[in-house]
Parts: sequence; structure tokens; C-alpha cells
Amino acid sequence: MNSIAIDRSSAAARPVPARPRVVGGVSAGETVIEARGVTKTFGDGSVVALEGASFEAKKGEFISLVGPSGCGKSTLLRIISGLIPKTGGSLSVHGREVTEPRSDIGMMFQKATLLEWRTAIENVLLPTELQRRVTADDKRRAAELLHMVGLKDFEFAFPRQLSGGMQQRVALARLLQTGADILLLDEPFGALDEFTRERLNVELMRVVAEVGGTTFFVTHNIQEAIFLADRVMVMTPRPGRLAKIVDVPFERPRDLSIQQSPEFNALVSEVRDVLGGH
Amino acid sequence: MSVANDLAVPVGTGLGLSPARARLARNLAIFGTIVVLWEAASRLGLIDPLFLPAPSAIVAAFVSLYVTVGNAWYHLGITLVEVFAGFFAGSALGIGLAILVGLNATLRRFMKPYIIVLEATPRIAVGPIIIAALGFGWTSKIAIVMLVCFFAPFVNTLSGMLSVNEDAREMFRSLGASKWQVFRKLMLPDAMPMIMAGLRLAMASALSGALVAEFISANEGMGVLLKRYTSTLNMDATFACLLTLTALGFLIFRSMELIDERLVFWRSDARAAAVGRRRANAFRSAAIARGA
Ligand SMILES: Nc1ncnc2c1ncn2[C@@H]1O[C@H](COP(=O)(O)OP(=O)(O)OP(=O)(O)O)[C@@H](O)[C@H]1O
Ligand SMILES: [Mg+2]
Repeated sequence: MNSIAIDRSSAAARPVPARPRVVGGVSAGETVIEARGVTKTFGDGSVVALEGASFEAKKGEFISLVGPSGCGKSTLLRIISGLIPKTGGSLSVHGREVTEPRSDIGMMFQKATLLEWRTAIENVLLPTELQRRVTADDKRRAAELLHMVGLKDFEFAFPRQLSGGMQQRVALARLLQTGADILLLDEPFGALDEFTRERLNVELMRVVAEVGGTTFFVTHNIQEAIFLADRVMVMTPRPGRLAKIVDVPFERPRDLSIQQSPEFNALVSEVRDVLGGH
Repeated sequence: MSVANDLAVPVGTGLGLSPARARLARNLAIFGTIVVLWEAASRLGLIDPLFLPAPSAIVAAFVSLYVTVGNAWYHLGITLVEVFAGFFAGSALGIGLAILVGLNATLRRFMKPYIIVLEATPRIAVGPIIIAALGFGWTSKIAIVMLVCFFAPFVNTLSGMLSVNEDAREMFRSLGASKWQVFRKLMLPDAMPMIMAGLRLAMASALSGALVAEFISANEGMGVLLKRYTSTLNMDATFACLLTLTALGFLIFRSMELIDERLVFWRSDARAAAVGRRRANAFRSAAIARGA
């Protein structure tokens, strides 16, 4: 895949966007998300979707969430994004408690949810358009992002002219266009075939590293979770609980071949053991 | 279909015409034959002119209605005013009200029973009441057409707005969109195909609505002209009026189809591709103008 790096100098020359972009100036390893006993109950409190989740995330970290259906992965992500309120505990992003959707936090869903009457580039520009007037620089940036996700010649294609995988790439570019540095991805490639998914995973890893985002990635696939992440949050259901956080020691970016290594397989069994106990 | 194709081949190849022209030539030939046979049958007294006048008589009536006497223009104008004024007012009211109701759940719950009752009432049955209230002139006809044109756009706009994908709403919410932005950039364009379908239905019934209103009671309009000629057994002129209305109906139908294609271009591959190319060109020329 053509991986064109974003021209950092042009990025610096851009007028300061309304959405804060944490790119330089902040030392790596700084804690950007802090969750203490985050709890979510539905209805009259009888459905405990998430119970006492505590964790931290450092800047630029890639964290996978695995666990069986109904263990509260989407619930946790939606709480971090500010889409739904938590019923207990505390959660701060960049030192501020999350109470509503914020411009420094971006979310991508399983469905691309592109607007079918907009071309790819117009879809990518939507987040900017909802905040302020779109400038020529925004357009250039959107074109760059489409380029970066491998859709160089499809800026003016409508969603109906794109395959499912290409639509998810547009959705990824749209997520990056928000300028958010906390990226929440809820099974973003879950609806795609395995071949496309594997390729997109590798590109996702490269792209988020390039923009320096802190990433939460939900998946059902243990191999995928380990392959992509610095740390894997393993969750178990009834009630939804954060059972264990597994460190993945491989350097990033990684090659698909590490999946054959004994260390990798040891991690897979470790995660499987946590899940198997339930 | 296969018979038609078998016919087309000798015509097209024999005269060296393109397939489209060959089809046109064939259709004209068929039409011409029918007209000639019809005329001949009329002249031989095989068709009762009170039932179906000869083509030549209908043409003569056309000339009288629109050229020599020219009295049809006025009535045609009146009917057109009724149709378009009623259509625009009725559908604007329908769409506007649907948007209000669509955006406000409380209003929706409150209005629902009234909407159901009104929708169950046959529209044209209200016609005589409106005429009694507003008189015999064209204002009452416009009101009737408005009534006929209100419901399809109303119902379609409302269901289009309410059927907006929940995931897309959530996406807008996560991007911090305001209520107005959700309406303007998501609900309205998403409902556009449904709204257009409602408008097409409304436009299709607008002409019939105006004519029926004129039949009920009026002094002017194509419906009045048609009724007058039928009652005096002037079948030549009756048929000329009828054909005028057919042509009008066809023009209205085709224009609505064209507007639909333009407004909801993203539903057709060919149109989407064309619009995409146009936007790409606009984008590039803007970039060149900036000197990029
Ligand atoms: N709006 C809601 N109202 C009531 N219960 C809910 C709601 N949303 C989620 N739940 C419940 O919360 C629990 C966790 O749901 P969640 O969607 O977070 O699971 P998940 O881990 O994302 O599952 P999956 O892998 O299937 O996407 C489930 O038991 C679900 O039934
Ligand atoms: Mg989920």
C-alpha cells in the first residue's frame, strides 16, 4: 500500500485548528486517560454492563479490548467517548472529566456510516464542517488523509461506488480529520472479510503511529488484539469486568510474521486462559 | 419484444439508420398506420363520431381551440395556475409541518390522532365543502388542490425524517453536531428520496384534483371546457381538450422525474459518477486558482 507520510512542515504551517492536536511538546509516556472504577448500569440498575473498570493509557499507546459478546466493550468505549454517561467511578481524558462528546476524542464504528450524498472527500471534511468554516487547507489535509489510507484516486467517488473496505478507509480518514488524539475504534473492520481486515489492521497500525494517536481498539479476535496492541485489556461478561491487562512486548510497527513466534503464542494462551475461566 | 426486434433489424439495416432512429421510425410508422386506418374507418362510417371522432376532426378542433378561436388558452391557464399554486402551497405546507412534527416528539404524540383521522378521510369528499366555504372561483380550486397535495409530501417527509439511521445520528453526536446541523446535514438529505417520492405522488394527483374540483362547480378551467363540450356533444373539441390534458400530464410527469434524478443523484450510478466528475473539476480549478 502506498504509504505517503504527512508532510510535517505543512502540518505545522496550518492555522491552529479549533480542535486541539497534541502532536509535539508533550513528552511521550504521559498518561492521557485515567479511569477509576468506571461503572455502568442500565435500566433500574439491574443490568450491570460494566463494573469497576480501572486503567490508564499513555500517550501514543495502542490498547486492544477483547472479550466475548456482551462483556461491555462497546459500553466502555462509548463512556470514554462521552456518548453515554457512566453511573459510577471517574474517567478523565487529558486531565478533564469526560461528560459529553469532545473534540479531542474521536470514535469510529463497525459501520462506516458515510453520508451517501457526499463524495469521499466531502465525507472526510464533515467533522471540520461541523466545527467551523472549511478552508483550502482543510481540503488539502483531507486529501492527504485519503491518500494516507490508500484512497488516492477516490476523493470524488460516492460511497455507493466504493467497496466495504474502502468505505471503512474513508471512515478512518474522517476520524483522523477530527484532529482528535484519542481514537476509539469499535470493531472497525468487523464486517469485512478476513483478507481485507488483516491488511487494514496493518495499515491502521501505521496510520495511528503516524498521527501519534492513543488508540482503543475493540475486537473479538485474540490474535488481532495482540498483534496490534501495546497492551490487551481482556474483559469477561456477567457482569462486564476488566479481568486482566496483558502487556505485549513486541516493537511496533510489526510484521505479520511475528504471529508465528512462540512468544506470540504464549500471549495468545495467556489471554485465552483468562477468557476460558468464564 | 423479440417480434419488435425482428421488425427493427430490416428497417435499421435497410435504410442505414442508427438503432435509436430505427426504433423511432418504426414507432412513427405504426402510429401513422393506426391514424390512417382510424381516419378511413371513420370516413366509411364504421365508427360512430359521437363515440370516437375522426383524427382530422380532432385536428380541426385543435386548430379552432388554440389558433382560430383560441378560447382554450384562457382555461388552460386557469387550470395551470390552480395546479401549480395548489401544488406548491400544499406540498410546502405538508413538508414544513412534517419537519416540525419530525423534530418534536411531543408535538408528534399530540398530532398523531388528528393526522390519522385526516388521512382516512377521502380528500375529494371535502371538495364540495371547500367550494361552499370559498365560493366557485379559482381560490376554492387552489384550496382543493392544496388538500390533495398535502398528504403525500407530509407523510413521506415525516417517515423519511424518522427513519434516519441511528448509527449516523450517533456519529453526528460524537462529532459534537448541533441539533440544527443534524437536521440540515443528516436528516434532510437522508429524507430527500422519500420527500421527492411524496412530491411526485402529489404532482400526479394535482391535475386530477384541479379537474375534479372544476367538475364539481366552476366557471372556468379545462374541466369546465371539457364538461361544456361533452354536454353539447361536441366530441371533436372534447377529444382535443382530453389530448391537451394528456400532454400536460405527461410533461408534468417527465419534469418531476428529471427533478428527482437531479436532486437524488446519488441513487443512480450514472448520475453519481457525473456529479463526482463535476465536483472533482470544481475542486481542481479552485486549487489552480489558488495557485497550488
Ligand atoms: N442501551 C442499553 N440498555 C440496556 N442494556 C444495554 C444497553 N446497551 C448495552 N446493554 C447491555 O450491556 C451489556 C454490554 O453491552 P456491550 O454492547 O457493551 O457489549 P459488547 O462487549 O460490546 O458486545 P459485542 O461484542 O457483542 O459488541 C450487554 O449485556 C447489553 O445487553
Ligand atoms: Mg460491541
